[in-house]
Amino acid sequence: MGKATVIPFGPQHPVLPEPLHLDLVVEDETVIEAVPQIGFVHRGLEKLVETRDYNQFIYVAERICGICAMGHSLGYAETVESLMGVEVPKRAEYLRVIWHELSRVHSHLLWLGLAADAFGFESMFMHCWRLRERVLDIFEKTTGGRVILSVVKVGGVVRDIDDAMMAQVIATLDGIMDDYTKIMNTLLTDTSVKNRTVDVGYISHKDALALSMVGPFARASAVNYDVRSFGRGAYGDLADFRPILDDGGDCFARVKVRCLEVLQSIEIIKELAAKMPAGDIEVAVKGAPADGAQASNVLEQPRGECYYYARGNGTKNLERMRMRTPTSQNLAGMTSALAGCDLADVNMIILTIDPCISCTER
Amino acid sequence: MAQFSQEFTPLPIEAIHDEAVARKAGGWRYVQTLAVNTEAGIDLVYSYMKDGLLENLVAKALPAGSAVPSVTDQFLAAFVFENEIHDLFGITFEGLAIDFGGNFYRVAQKEPMTIISPELKAAREKAAKVAAAKAAKEAAKADRAEKAGEAQAEFLAAHPEAKAAATGGRVFAPSDDEAVEAKLAGMDPEKVARVRAAIAAKAKKAAAAEQDAAKDAELEAKLAAMDPEKAAKVRAAMEAKAKKAAEAAAKEGE
Repeated sequence: MGKATVIPFGPQHPVLPEPLHLDLVVEDETVIEAVPQIGFVHRGLEKLVETRDYNQFIYVAERICGICAMGHSLGYAETVESLMGVEVPKRAEYLRVIWHELSRVHSHLLWLGLAADAFGFESMFMHCWRLRERVLDIFEKTTGGRVILSVVKVGGVVRDIDDAMMAQVIATLDGIMDDYTKIMNTLLTDTSVKNRTVDVGYISHKDALALSMVGPFARASAVNYDVRSFGRGAYGDLADFRPILDDGGDCFARVKVRCLEVLQSIEIIKELAAKMPAGDIEVAVKGAPADGAQASNVLEQPRGECYYYARGNGTKNLERMRMRTPTSQNLAGMTSALAGCDLADVNMIILTIDPCISCTER
Repeated sequence: MAQFSQEFTPLPIEAIHDEAVARKAGGWRYVQTLAVNTEAGIDLVYSYMKDGLLENLVAKALPAGSAVPSVTDQFLAAFVFENEIHDLFGITFEGLAIDFGGNFYRVAQKEPMTIISPELKAAREKAAKVAAAKAAKEAAKADRAEKAGEAQAEFLAAHPEAKAAATGGRVFAPSDDEAVEAKLAGMDPEKVARVRAAIAAKAKKAAAAEQDAAKDAELEAKLAAMDPEKAAKVRAAMEAKAKKAAEAAAKEGE
């Protein structure tokens, strides 16, 4: 057994475009302990709520993260609506979920590409990102933006998708589905993928529960928790929703859960598009949240459960707004998965929690 | 699957750790910890979830710089939030499993979330003043309305003959006419003449409307006494006449 050495990992690392630093305590090639360090991009966005009114802050909320922008604006709007007792029209709920599920598709495709890149499968990276571009094209057509969509407002949405446009969206998704199925089959059956992921970074079901893990990271350890299964909003109108679970607990199980969630999201969009009710897409919201009123909310982001909290002070500005992102909840699970792994597997394990440090620090 | 619901429950500061032990034993999932800066002190909100119930436990008004026990021995995931609250709000967590000693976030300003800028303070004071002024204005308006009601009631009690007229419209107390006269006395004579003419025109219009109403009532009474078929014919003829008149008026307007 060799002497323990500390190897720094990040905040700039070829495999991870996120400012995450890890102090890896290694003995020979085995990681004994990993201590994460963040704090390089803290922007104080939660403090901004004191100087922006609750309608303006939605644009700040969606700039927390470039990948889950839609999710953050949705989670924030739902929290403020809950605080002020606003009921959103059914059509707006459907549109919100359709855009949110499209973001999950693009987020998972982005992640699958990055994961393929991490284990050296360059062509797979290109294929995943090629498909992701088509989802971004749908965003551009339906909202005008590719990353920051700005379609959600407190009380509904600002744009509608008409029947002709919805038919185009579904046709594009059908096209993506054909290509994606081929890519997914390769990812889940190829030996080179399995060599790098099977039995790597194992987290047992018991540990996943003890570490309060969320999202695909937890569902790959058979934790049956997905906020969408509460059936709130348009999710309640789905004929059947069951979280995608796997009991593998390793990096391969996490790849598999995300792969299948892309198909699930596309099915959700198609079902909701077929059931889309007619009617208004927004309600007028007047007044300000009451002094001392509090509301919390959870939303299933692509990376897992995100928690929102708002407190009013009787003015148009909120007293406090808080977002607890899925990555911050999964950091404890990540350090646990890293303990005892090979040094060469560190990047793969970090990637499989799909960390978003910009979200975490806000 | 369970339905989602949320609750906010008070949590005594000294029970923070015991509550975490109880929640872990009860199979609750740790969701998060957050802090809110208030005038009374810093509130800590601990969230746990079980069977769709999101329970937020609120420990109120911790003095600035105080120390509370860490819950990381029960839920390791809390280390991120406790380090964050330490760096941004200045609350110390005793027994933190992974303690960054104030170096979790690289912030230029110490405990930035506890700072209320002078601009924000001024804005809040202004908002409070505006709210107070609005409330006072509404209270005064309600008071005036109440007084006017009382005055009218008094006047009607003193003048029973006005009671019948009061049911048809607004009754002006003599004090109103007196006030108008007093106002007119101090005005330019030409303007006074114009005002008087306007008042007279208004009164004439009101009288004409009353006459029309009386005519309509008389006609209705006549129609009611007639044979229903004949009445319907008369009504149709009247409507046609009115329509023709309206069309002619529209043509003239063009």
